[in-house]
Amino acid sequence: MIELNKVSKRFNEALAVNDISLRVEKGSFCALVGTSGCGKSTTLRMINRLIPHSDGEILIDGQPIEQLDPVKLRRRIGYVIQSTGLFPHWSVARNIALVPRLLKWPAEKIDARVEELMALLGLPFDEFVGKYPHQLSGGQAQRVGVARALAADPDILLMDEPFGALDPLTRDKLQEELARLQARLHKTVVFVTHDMDEALKLADHLVVMREGRIVQQGSPLTLLRHPADPFVESLLGGLERGLKQAGLTRVKEHMTSLGPQVPAHSRIPGDFTLRQGLSMMLRDHTERLTVVDASDVPIGELSLRRLIKESQSERGTPRAG
Amino acid sequence: MQARGAVSIPRAWPNWLPAFGFAALLGLALFGMELLEPFFRWVEPDARSVIYARASFVDLLGRHLLVVGAAGAVTVCLGLIAGIAVTRRYGRDFLPLAGQLASIGQTFPPVAVLALAVPALGFGTPAIIVALMLYGLLPILRNTLAGLDGVDPALKEAAIAMGMTPRQRLWRVELPLAAPVILAGVRTSITINIATAALGATVGASNLGDPIIAGIINANMAYVIQGALLIALLALTVDSLFDLLEQQLRHRPTD
Repeated sequence: MIELNKVSKRFNEALAVNDISLRVEKGSFCALVGTSGCGKSTTLRMINRLIPHSDGEILIDGQPIEQLDPVKLRRRIGYVIQSTGLFPHWSVARNIALVPRLLKWPAEKIDARVEELMALLGLPFDEFVGKYPHQLSGGQAQRVGVARALAADPDILLMDEPFGALDPLTRDKLQEELARLQARLHKTVVFVTHDMDEALKLADHLVVMREGRIVQQGSPLTLLRHPADPFVESLLGGLERGLKQAGLTRVKEHMTSLGPQVPAHSRIPGDFTLRQGLSMMLRDHTERLTVVDASDVPIGELSLRRLIKESQSERGTPRAG
Repeated sequence: MQARGAVSIPRAWPNWLPAFGFAALLGLALFGMELLEPFFRWVEPDARSVIYARASFVDLLGRHLLVVGAAGAVTVCLGLIAGIAVTRRYGRDFLPLAGQLASIGQTFPPVAVLALAVPALGFGTPAIIVALMLYGLLPILRNTLAGLDGVDPALKEAAIAMGMTPRQRLWRVELPLAAPVILAGVRTSITINIATAALGATVGASNLGDPIIAGIINANMAYVIQGALLIALLALTVDSLFDLLEQQLRHRPTD
């Protein structure tokens, strides 16, 4: 668990981070979102003491970090950065093995761990073990970066815009894999990004920062439903907010049981998002979709009219349009 | 990551060939200078002898290498230690000073250093070693500073964030990444000093400069050519050996 209590950071006279308090529960995924220069990276780097904080306290598992030896603290925390930071003179295997080697694990244990991590990150062992960073594509290099961060099985993972330099397709793929990994490993993750879609996709706790302060924090759905101010609303996509919210909900959660009507022609798997469902309705010019399970058996129906009624009752006040 | 250094230019000859070739020529010049006697006779038709014979060339080469080697060993140590020290946090304040001192060392003409060293150290080998040390320090120090400074700040920070101690960062990350640049400095320093060491002959440190000085004094151009030829071949041999070493370093990253 990571706790920040009234933490500030002053660079000379300028306040980069201004009195922020934040709690990241064990096993939860917290995204710090904001525009450039809002202090989100500074906040992240204070957690592993790359930057000392000026005021307030930062606790890791209840212990103030300034009481911990910085070298030992950092070996307990995985760190991933946008530029990967892989060492160009070391092979993929040697890069991944870095922290276990620093911790003086026995050689067989390190080798086994490297192999395990490469499998976990989808890097075929024989193909990549001897490669050097300059021989990797951006996506592959960042997979190695994530593997290196996970090598010594740290509880905490700090990620500073890890996918910011990747092309959209690779970024989507790695986001999905990170979500999959997190569902399995339950690390305590602090993830810095300026990409709200990325944050919505991955995080279960969103922290929106602006000019060194926290503007709003909470679950993605809470922020989407009740943005605290126009800034948060604009970050959340303004008019597209409804669609982003739909992107976080599964079709299954909004389907109704199959009625007496003839089932709709268009079918959608129940695990798809509501956003995909709406898109399909637009594409197929239909108000209704048949929801199917994994084996393509109809299990319910998604109706546009019902959806609009539901969201009206959720808001309390009916709205036109 | 941007790909770099991965392109291999197809070569017409193996990369050890220059070093081997120059070494062979040097050996030939050391042991077979007599073969060129007709040429030297043509250069100096009136001289009593046209092949320098006051000492064997092998002997002179040995002393030459000793002087350059001793000065080189000291400069490499000094340059590296100073370069590392002033790029650490505790030595940062001395960074500009170190650069200036080394520059002054190079702006001093070696002849002037020799002239100053002789009264202090007497005639002979120590004086030329001191002169070479001062003269050879700058390229090493400058390249050590440039090499360490050229390490990507993101990598240095990654090394900190991974939990490496300052010493581990220096030995495992900074020095290996700076090594090619540092080695280039050592190469420059040593190669220049092979030529400069010939000046030692003027203060009685006998080495490959002897035939040159003797040739100038006796107006015997043949001696001058022999000394110059040997020094040039030695410098070329050593330089191509360094080239080989640099290529090894570049192609086989340390692991």
